Amino acid sequence: MKKIIFYLELVSMLGLLICGLWIFLKLPIETSQGFPQKIMYLHVPSVIAAYLAFFIVFVYSIAYLWKRELMFDQIAKASAEVGQIFCVLVLITGAIWGRTTWGTYWVWDARLTTTLLLFLIFMGYFLLRMSVNDRDKEARLASVIGIIGFLDIPIIHKSVEWWRTLHQPSTLFNVDSGEVKPSMPQELLIPLLASTLVMLLFYFYLLLLRYQTEKHTDKLNQLLAETEG
Amino acid sequence: MKTRTKFVIGGALILAVIIAMSVQELQETTVFFYTPQEVLASPSNFEDKTIRIGALVQKGSVEWNAKEIQLYFNITEDDNEFIHVFYAGVKPDLFREGQGVVVEGKMKGQRFEANQLLVKHSEEYTVESEHKKNKDDYYKSIQAQ
Repeated sequence: MKKIIFYLELVSMLGLLICGLWIFLKLPIETSQGFPQKIMYLHVPSVIAAYLAFFIVFVYSIAYLWKRELMFDQIAKASAEVGQIFCVLVLITGAIWGRTTWGTYWVWDARLTTTLLLFLIFMGYFLLRMSVNDRDKEARLASVIGIIGFLDIPIIHKSVEWWRTLHQPSTLFNVDSGEVKPSMPQELLIPLLASTLVMLLFYFYLLLLRYQTEKHTDKLNQLLAETEG
Repeated sequence: MKTRTKFVIGGALILAVIIAMSVQELQETTVFFYTPQEVLASPSNFEDKTIRIGALVQKGSVEWNAKEIQLYFNITEDDNEFIHVFYAGVKPDLFREGQGVVVEGKMKGQRFEANQLLVKHSEEYTVESEHKKNKDDYYKSIQAQ
């Protein structure tokens, strides 16, 4: 496990560095937005990493409720924490991007509001975990919130199609006559996919690191309870 | 009645109220902006109300007075029905003819007085070389005719 974490750290750090240099030094400037468009390479990969992180929370929350295996809850908790960081990154980079292109940091349109809702649901998730002392009860309640919280993600993703929003529809998942065809030239698309891949590796690195800590914390608490009892 | 049952009934009631309120709220506010057609179809509904209208900036309609910082333009979806907009503020960087915009303000007679001007941006990205190639291809196709 330690070895995997080390290699994930190495590869994701190097990858982030290379992508950063590539994006700022090599890539052509986008025609209509100009230089500020480069924030896309942080915004979109963070979105996808957050989607995956909360999907893992969803899967392991169900697994926990089903099998009552503490490990599943530890993974769900670790993934929720990392996902929340990506969610904050999405909100911050989105605000900066919005200021330069739309002319505002924030509007209450469906896309932005449902994303903020995701953030708030998972703030509630962590508060709940902190306020319950019984480890099994904490895991049970948190699993329920984790499952409900994930259900916001399809709504976020589809919000730009279901409602009139200021946010533009999806570029990566643009559907052209029945097939997915990103509305973006190869020169911009390939670096975006590379950044996303690197961001996902970075997510797995943080997830495993956090999971290890969770595992040790629970083990330590258990030992303490035994010695006291 | 058991305490547990009371909690379940109470919880269900609170949840039902929250869901009812959100559905109501969603129906009223999920439309981030109206279209010019909707506003022009029933002007009395929108009179003296702060609303947002989203459409494209009509070609050839932009008047920018840099000295007084006043911007005049028309917004339209089909070039036939348009609304004249007045905005007293700085012209955003991405503001140009044919661009999608969302304006927030009030209808004052025939004119919409905006206090906020937001520029939408397309989900389509292009780079200069491709842009130039498309342009060249277009000119070639015209000459071929």
